[in-house]
Amino acid sequence: MKIKDIVLIGMMSAMMFAIQVAMAILPLPNAELISLFVIVFALVFGYKALFIIYIFVLLEGIFYGFHIWWINYLYVWTVLFFVARLFRRKRSSLFWAVISGAFGLSFGALCSIPYFLTGGIPSGAAYWVSGIPFDIIHGISNFIVGLVAIRPIYNLVDMLYNKAKC
Amino acid sequence: MEKSKKYSKTILAVVIFAAIVIVLGLVYNKFKPQTKEGSKEISVTIVVPEEEPKEVTIKTDAEYLRQALDEKKLIEGSDSTYGYYITGVDGRTADSAKEEWWCITKGGEDVNTGIDATPIADGDKFELTLMIGY
Repeated sequence: MKIKDIVLIGMMSAMMFAIQVAMAILPLPNAELISLFVIVFALVFGYKALFIIYIFVLLEGIFYGFHIWWINYLYVWTVLFFVARLFRRKRSSLFWAVISGAFGLSFGALCSIPYFLTGGIPSGAAYWVSGIPFDIIHGISNFIVGLVAIRPIYNLVDMLYNKAKC
Repeated sequence: MEKSKKYSKTILAVVIFAAIVIVLGLVYNKFKPQTKEGSKEISVTIVVPEEEPKEVTIKTDAEYLRQALDEKKLIEGSDSTYGYYITGVDGRTADSAKEEWWCITKGGEDVNTGIDATPIADGDKFELTLMIGY
């Protein structure tokens, strides 16, 4: 790994973490930009984005405390990363808005997996159902953010990254 | 022809997304914890480390836990985007500097909803435990 990559990963991880903490004070639960960044970084940086994701996850654990929610974070953003890599040739804002929105809608289901494993089907199902209103907000906000911001953010990050590579 | 194909795929994707949102809403309405009308008697055990647990019996017509606790003036707190956040129980305030916080359980089991959205039924037993450490 080159020094440039280490700097890039550090900066992007810090930016994601700072934005997540800043947005936590907004009065809209589950509205976040992390999905947007995971998608853009997966498309622009490729597998280096995994380093960014896991440093972000580590920072989240240190800041908020390590608990069962942190187990979710170990895989949930990676799922989105691999979905983004699978469709990396797509450039439509609406396509990525739908992907981001679908991820938001499925966030609760993905996070309920440890509860299914530790507490069985009733526990996992109760956890998922009780979070559905938040998943709906998450999905809709991800869709809107994706529609509005994914193209300009992708263009900016891609342009800066290509400039830095030269 | 190509453009109209592209637009119809787009519209289809948005329609499917909207349909999933509606389906999730219906699933939530069907399976969310149901409330019970009428008079109920519940017990709430207040557990503070290094103190004797204190059991409070509440007779109430409330449908959700928060109303029942408010009727007995047992809790203090504030509203947040995720619901009511309890900061004090029975006069004992959690000290965030010491990473103290109040945990709600029902019959010793975790509760997946906040006290605003936790329905109560006759005979339910809740615990409010002062936890230390995040």
